[in-house]
Amino acid sequence: MPTTTIVRLEDIYKIYGSGETEVRALDGVNLTIEQGEFCSIMGASGSGKSTMMNIIGCLDKPTSGRYYLDNVDVSQLNDTDLAHVRNRKLGFVFQQFHLLPQLSALENVMLPLVYASVSERDRRDRAVEALTRVGLAHRLHNRPNQLSGGQQQRVAIARAIVGRPVLLLADEPTGALDSKTTVEILNIFAELNASGMTVVMVTHEPDVARSTRRVIWFKDGQVMNSSLTPDEMNHLMAAA
Amino acid sequence: MDLFESTRMAAKTLTANKLRSTLTMLGIIIGNASVIAMIGIGQGAQRLASEQFESLGPNVLFVSPGSPQTQRRSFDLPRTLVLDDAKAIAEQVPSVREVAPQRQSQLPVIYRNLNSNSLVVGTTPSFLSVRSFDMERGRFISDQDVASNSQVVALGSDVATRFFGNRDPIGEEIRIRGITFRVIGVMQSKGAFLGNNQDDAVYVPITTMANRLTGQTSPYGLDLTFISITAKDEASIPAAEFQVTNLLRLRHKITTEDDFTVQTQKDVLQIVGTVTGGLTIMLAAIAAISLVVGGIGIMNIMLVSVTERTQEIGLRKAIGASQQDILIQFMIEAVILAAAGGLLGTAIGVGGVVLVGALTPLQAGVSPAAIAVATGVSGGIGLFFGVVPARQAAKLDPIVALRSA
Repeated sequence: MPTTTIVRLEDIYKIYGSGETEVRALDGVNLTIEQGEFCSIMGASGSGKSTMMNIIGCLDKPTSGRYYLDNVDVSQLNDTDLAHVRNRKLGFVFQQFHLLPQLSALENVMLPLVYASVSERDRRDRAVEALTRVGLAHRLHNRPNQLSGGQQQRVAIARAIVGRPVLLLADEPTGALDSKTTVEILNIFAELNASGMTVVMVTHEPDVARSTRRVIWFKDGQVMNSSLTPDEMNHLMAAA
Repeated sequence: MDLFESTRMAAKTLTANKLRSTLTMLGIIIGNASVIAMIGIGQGAQRLASEQFESLGPNVLFVSPGSPQTQRRSFDLPRTLVLDDAKAIAEQVPSVREVAPQRQSQLPVIYRNLNSNSLVVGTTPSFLSVRSFDMERGRFISDQDVASNSQVVALGSDVATRFFGNRDPIGEEIRIRGITFRVIGVMQSKGAFLGNNQDDAVYVPITTMANRLTGQTSPYGLDLTFISITAKDEASIPAAEFQVTNLLRLRHKITTEDDFTVQTQKDVLQIVGTVTGGLTIMLAAIAAISLVVGGIGIMNIMLVSVTERTQEIGLRKAIGASQQDILIQFMIEAVILAAAGGLLGTAIGVGGVVLVGALTPLQAGVSPAAIAVATGVSGGIGLFFGVVPARQAAKLDPIVALRSA
């Protein structure tokens, strides 16, 4: 089966400051992620994995290099176009959930569709569908503060997939959860991936990375290894 | 995201934090309420003053000593306007019906052990009809009294009450500057005129006033404080003004600047209008300042709100809100706050004006135009002072915004 490339990064540099104080957050990154992959980005803090995440997520622009998302060059788009790309092609899940406290679960999930100018009825239908997929069909009208941490993160996942993105990005999605809930959330990601969703997860927890099928290892702003299997990572971790 | 969605979103955010929203609106509420109240009360005062001047009597003209310029510059006016001038006007000006010369000063008035410092007006019998005064009891000064320097006095209603209570004062004797006067009548109450109590006055023959009370003060004759004149009818007011002016110029041998001023009721009304109008503008300006302060209050709270809602803004941007979406959202919040505050303030202001109208003789009213302007202005203030916080929100870097915990 021919695969489609979702993310293609070519010679990506992200440089802060200049001269003496120059910091190379990303130092020539080349990377591709195919349709249907489930991979994690790992590395120590300061390795550049967060910067990588921001660039893949179109929240930040590279200093130089090309980034093709879904075969479209997005590396030099302006802010408004980037907002559009985030809205239509990407779904975000954050460590701190980032749900709006004044809105119900349903309204939180509907929010991306508001910015996509989807009609009110379609918004509601799609949000209910997304919440059902993450197992929260019975919690539609609860406010975030009436939900547990795991439930809140599920609402956040529903919000990320409601726009039918080509890529689901998760930044330390289990960082604020206990181990039991972590397993539940990782299972949801696995299920989504099984149904065809491309998932990229940034984490520093090896246990979490092990649940994915491919590990991308960052060090000093460069990709040390772009396709470790979880077993190879175990060896690497053991050696370190 | 369309405007309707943005408005709904803003309303949701604002109602989620009712206390803050209310406090934010407070400045605008107070500002708008005071603008409305000040304009309403100012206009009421203007109307009241006009009504009082109209109550002076119909078709009245006033002649006072000194040119308009001199009157504005100094209290030391020429003493060239005399009783003979008044007589000449009455006899020679065809468009004039009646003439009431007046000479007045504040003097001590004593009855037994009671005394008061009242306005003593020396005048002639025509004063009654010219100034639309009426007698409560007894009679006013007669031509005979004027001709014979009679020591008789008609009392204003307040003076009569102060000295005699409910007793009939007619035939009693009072003393003005040590000279005895016999009371012949009591005036009907006339009320205040521009803050001066017209009932705290006594009326004596103008000749007695000049010869017994104040003495000779001018080389030209019996000099006057002013002359009140009624024209034959409304149409002849301009003619009367012109003829009186010419006659006095002739009599006073004026070649350059007039040493007197002729004013019609309309002139006086205009002056009063200018004064109260200026007052209204001043009050409204002060109130407008508080409106601006209210706008700054909104900006202040909105800026705090942007800082506090950094994460929300970051999240919205991450899921696809453009800078414009965020800008519009915060602008709408500011405008809703300002407009709602404006409406509330207007309601309070109108209430205040109605209350003032009910409790005082001031016929205070609010024009719909004032309401429209005040509400529009407060909405505009929201727009103006909402720009800075909204721009700040729109410019937030989503990465930084999301990271701030």
